[in-house]
Amino acid sequence: MIRFLAIFLVTLLVLFTLEMLTPVQHSVIQPFTGGLATVSSMLIMPFDDNVISQGRILRDAVTGFAVSIESGCNGVEAAIVLIAGVLAFPANWRQKVAAIVLGFFAIQALNIVRIVSLFYLGQWNYGIFEWTHLYFWPVLIMIDVLIVFAVYLRWLGNQTTREQIA
Amino acid sequence: MGFRQQILMTLVLMPITFALWYAAGSLLAGPAAWMAGAVLSGLYSSVIASAGLSDTLLVVSAEFGSLNGTIVTAEQAGNELVFEINTRLVSYSIPFYAALLWSSKLSNAVNRFALGLFVLWIAMALGLIVIAMKELMLAVGTPFLEATGVPPAPLIALSYQFSVLVAPTLMPVLLWLIQLRGTPLWVSLQSRLTPKTAE
Repeated sequence: MIRFLAIFLVTLLVLFTLEMLTPVQHSVIQPFTGGLATVSSMLIMPFDDNVISQGRILRDAVTGFAVSIESGCNGVEAAIVLIAGVLAFPANWRQKVAAIVLGFFAIQALNIVRIVSLFYLGQWNYGIFEWTHLYFWPVLIMIDVLIVFAVYLRWLGNQTTREQIA
Repeated sequence: MGFRQQILMTLVLMPITFALWYAAGSLLAGPAAWMAGAVLSGLYSSVIASAGLSDTLLVVSAEFGSLNGTIVTAEQAGNELVFEINTRLVSYSIPFYAALLWSSKLSNAVNRFALGLFVLWIAMALGLIVIAMKELMLAVGTPFLEATGVPPAPLIALSYQFSVLVAPTLMPVLLWLIQLRGTPLWVSLQSRLTPKTAE
């Protein structure tokens, strides 16, 4: 447990520091966040063609309401927590890479639900938007990380069983 | 109780714990705000005039003021820069932790919760200190950064991001996992890694 915690915390701090570096923000994080806005608008468009995305901003062309996807809302920090957990847990590299890639998509899938829900909540009631944005969604995203990690542990257990039977 | 039930119970309890946290107002943030205020006023007395809780806001008054748009000492300016920090930005870790812990049906749950709450208050206090430093860094700038004991700007920026974006949701999970050790749920989680016997 202590070894896991130590590796987890060091990896977390290293990755988080890397994420915050200006060159990484410019060349990786911001384009990725812009991509999230584009994907979100593409998912909304079939149901609501008033939505447009401009960079990291998702805007309603009629009401003018817009949300800007900033740090903390792009799911990158949650992915970093998952990556740190996966790297800290004993497994082979193939298993770790698979968990990181699939886990990243699982986090981003829920994150897109967060972005879309906040976009509409904001137009409906700003107080509820703030509350869910600041307090409720971050917790749900962390629970998502926890679930992905637990599924990974089960998968690791099953892999070990298969290897032993073979 | 298995992991699936644990997560479901956590999601069921969350609306209740969050409602209680919201209703409690400044009560749950009080100890953390008091610690943050004491540290800020004690360590940076040349920079911070006072820091105290007002409803759910940590109100920090600086020893600096604004005179025709220029930052000078409060004495020269005849006014003080005041920052209002929303303590809920860090205190929402408490209802999350409560939901995780109470859904685990642990023995000595009250003792565990009290211990966890104490650790969370310390983490929250650190978060509030860092948020206050970020506000001072942006509003006051060089005079603040040159004051004795103030960390370098990149460290303040990084700590701020970590305290606001990661710590409030990660701390409850880590605390909960540590407190789970030796419980049936912990055994169930461990069993996920134990190879099943071939029949």
